Amino acid sequence: MQITSEYLERAIEQLSKLPGTGRKSAQRIAIHLLKQNDEYALKLANAIIDLKNKVTRCSVCGNVSDSDPCKICDNPKRENGQICVVEEFNDVYIIEKTNEFRGRYHVLGGVISPMDNIGPDQLRIQDLLKRVGGNEHIDEVILALNPDAEGEATSYYVNKLLIPYEVKVTRIAYGIPMGTELEFIDEATLSRAFTSRSSF
Amino acid sequence: MRITHLELLHFRNHKKNQVDWAPHLNVITGPNGAGKTSLIDAIHYLCMSRSFVSTSDMYVTYQGESYFFLKGDFTGEIRSEFEVSCTYSRGEGKKIFVNDGPLDKLSDLIGMVPVVVLSPDDKKLTLEGPAERRSFLDSFISQISVGYLRDLIDYRRIRKQRNTLLQDYRGPQNMLQMYLEPWNKQLVETGSRIIAKRYEVLENFKEYLSRDYAMISGMNLTTGLEYQTFCEASADPKAIEEQYYKELEATFEKEVEREQTLTGPHRDEIIFYLDDFELRRFGSQGQHRLFALSLKLAQLHYYSDELDDLPIFMLDDVFGDLDLHKTGILLKALQEHSGQTFITSANPVPFEDFVTFDGNRNKFYSVVDGQITERDR
Ligand SMILES: [Zn+2]
Repeated sequence: MQITSEYLERAIEQLSKLPGTGRKSAQRIAIHLLKQNDEYALKLANAIIDLKNKVTRCSVCGNVSDSDPCKICDNPKRENGQICVVEEFNDVYIIEKTNEFRGRYHVLGGVISPMDNIGPDQLRIQDLLKRVGGNEHIDEVILALNPDAEGEATSYYVNKLLIPYEVKVTRIAYGIPMGTELEFIDEATLSRAFTSRSSF
Repeated sequence: MRITHLELLHFRNHKKNQVDWAPHLNVITGPNGAGKTSLIDAIHYLCMSRSFVSTSDMYVTYQGESYFFLKGDFTGEIRSEFEVSCTYSRGEGKKIFVNDGPLDKLSDLIGMVPVVVLSPDDKKLTLEGPAERRSFLDSFISQISVGYLRDLIDYRRIRKQRNTLLQDYRGPQNMLQMYLEPWNKQLVETGSRIIAKRYEVLENFKEYLSRDYAMISGMNLTTGLEYQTFCEASADPKAIEEQYYKELEATFEKEVEREQTLTGPHRDEIIFYLDDFELRRFGSQGQHRLFALSLKLAQLHYYSDELDDLPIFMLDDVFGDLDLHKTGILLKALQEHSGQTFITSANPVPFEDFVTFDGNRNKFYSVVDGQITERDR
């Protein structure tokens, strides 16, 4: 094989490092980009540079943001005494889309997992305690971590550290996905849904 | 549940093959290495997502090929017709599809088509260490309880996390105790549910076992089964939890020293008895063989009572070891069982003396060099 363009080859190499992108799709993308006009290429390149240089982390909640504090932490309307604790910033995005929650967030940046060398000190748990004990007037902490072993361990640990603060600690309910028929739900999910059932 | 049609591509010594199965008894004969076991192992893949012979998916791929594909058409009393397929390739690994829809986890397949297998390897069940018996029990219960399987998977993960903490932690012990606490809670909850379920199933299973041992041995020996765990077992997980926490506390120092989790269902044991004598220590070769056969027959009968759909039963190369009298008893029992059964045999066994192979309800196949032919009888 004769490589006719070192630049094309380099672009394919970089693109194929993207998640879910194999060498074949990287080639397709590179050839597509090559056919676009200069303006589009420049926009794309700038978007990537800005993503890296201008997106930062909110020093209050740990969410990704263009400003510090982020728009949610800076919004007085979101000061309703509730903090929703999530694992990663994409969880904020998912909850925000529902428009259900009007309080603020706290992004832990992961969950406790000794196998991955992540202990409580690697997470933003101390920051959470500082917020709860600070002047944000927090009266409820909602734990919204995944119901797997690591999420459970983290919820347990955070809840325990919050006891001295005498703040209400709740967790999101385990339930049955909407539009799912009962017969397709496994026993474990169903039994959890039963124990955390609510009145009609 | 029955399998009506099977297709194999690059599986063990079958390059490309397909078979239509009889709804009741399927006897497969042929010389050793001809591909008899491969056929029922293929069905096992479609029930349990793995081989009952080999531990590796790569080893069951046809020599010189990089992938295999299996497809089975199933039909049941409750669930009507559906299709299960399994693909494996060296690059992409293994995937299971049910009616063309991919399963998220391989474990989602377990229990869909319940299966009971008896193979010469099953002597290990009563001869070797407790791990063999735990794995028999886990596979047994997982097929009838999704919740149990989920607890097993969770328990394994929780224990691994906990062991890592015990191995890697360097610091004051009271801090370690605090770090362990969230894992302890989950270990105790899932572990207690596993023990309670094991206890409950084994209590019911005892009766099945003694009935089937008496039937197949024709002797008046009483079978016994004792489930041993770290505490007094019970069918109520809450009753176990309390003892579990106490035991964790009592063994904390020892766990720190040994750097691993020392209490829980991963150390359970089942002791089998024949007339008050421990089988593992005093049983003869013949008794071990008959006991393994009774365990699997009892599993079959237990499932048949417990589940809406009858399990598929596979007997791999076990008839050669039985005398004519026992062959007769077993074949009679299999004909009384209305589910689907697969029998492989290298030795010439006079199946015709006991079974009518009409080519409809019961079929007789011979396999030579990977070629399958249905024999007219
Ligand atoms: Zn913020």
